[in-house]
Amino acid sequence: MARILAVDDSAAMRQMVGITLSGAGHEVEQAADGCEALALAERKKFDLVITDVNMPNMDGITLVRELRARPAYRYVPLLVLTTESTAQRKAEGKAAGATGWIVKPFNPERLIAVVARVIG
Amino acid sequence: MAQILSRLAPTQPAQPLPGFEGLQRFWEPENGRWTVKILPGEYYVTRSDEAITTVLGSCISACIRDPVSRVGGMNHFMLPEESPGHGDSWLSTRYGVNAMESLINDLLKLGAVRKRLEIKLFGGGRILSSLTDVGARNIEFVQNFLRIEGFTAAAQDLGSTSPRKVVYFPATGRVRVRKLRPIENRAIGDRERHYLESLRSRPQDGEIELFD
Repeated sequence: MARILAVDDSAAMRQMVGITLSGAGHEVEQAADGCEALALAERKKFDLVITDVNMPNMDGITLVRELRARPAYRYVPLLVLTTESTAQRKAEGKAAGATGWIVKPFNPERLIAVVARVIG
Repeated sequence: MAQILSRLAPTQPAQPLPGFEGLQRFWEPENGRWTVKILPGEYYVTRSDEAITTVLGSCISACIRDPVSRVGGMNHFMLPEESPGHGDSWLSTRYGVNAMESLINDLLKLGAVRKRLEIKLFGGGRILSSLTDVGARNIEFVQNFLRIEGFTAAAQDLGSTSPRKVVYFPATGRVRVRKLRPIENRAIGDRERHYLESLRSRPQDGEIELFD
């Protein structure tokens, strides 16, 4: 069981990620953009953050960079879950410090498997 | 025919936005605009005064625009069938969420604001002769999606048994819907069945990459 923060500006997408991962026994909290996620992550320690890229206020790449700059999140797995699939965007995610890149639509079983793998 | 008409066009088509170069545009005198036709599984967004058209049986099209930032687009999708004995509708719902999100995300990237989005819904007819009403499932999904996301449809024409030809003018938000005669049902039904089969045989899950 891990404490997971799911970040997406789409409520339907947050709900799908939440249902998938809580069904696998994880505890999932949600945030609607990078700013909200950062505020939550500073109050509470999560074992994993899954974030969308394109969001208002603060995008997912910036969120990853901000989290990595904080000692508490230096080694926490940060996964990007997005409709973006270009090599350029992936390279930006990797450079910001993301652990992995998942292109939507996601397969629930594979999402559960990749989460299990990165939280080790 | 489309090529002959295109030679009569008074203007050149606007440059398509990146990622949409592959969709063919033709001059449609009836629309008075360059027109893009989208097929099941496709979507198109534009900031030009173009028309977007599609033919719907049990599939759904959402026509979405931001009247202030003047970007708009249309998608065309349906949910894949549930595999027998697999009650989890989230498995198929994700295709619908993806179709809606891809369109909305592209509009937001072009400067649209979520709160200002004007959404019109079409399709979901009972066209395919199967035991389950595929159209009704598609309607239920899209209405649920709007509710969860906090959107309200500005207009809709859903259900019934006739297929529809939809023409959307994103610059003004105007939509023209024409109900098609039943004689045209078969070709539309065949195309949707083919699309459903392709969803089943080629799951469209995105790839996963873990960085070193």
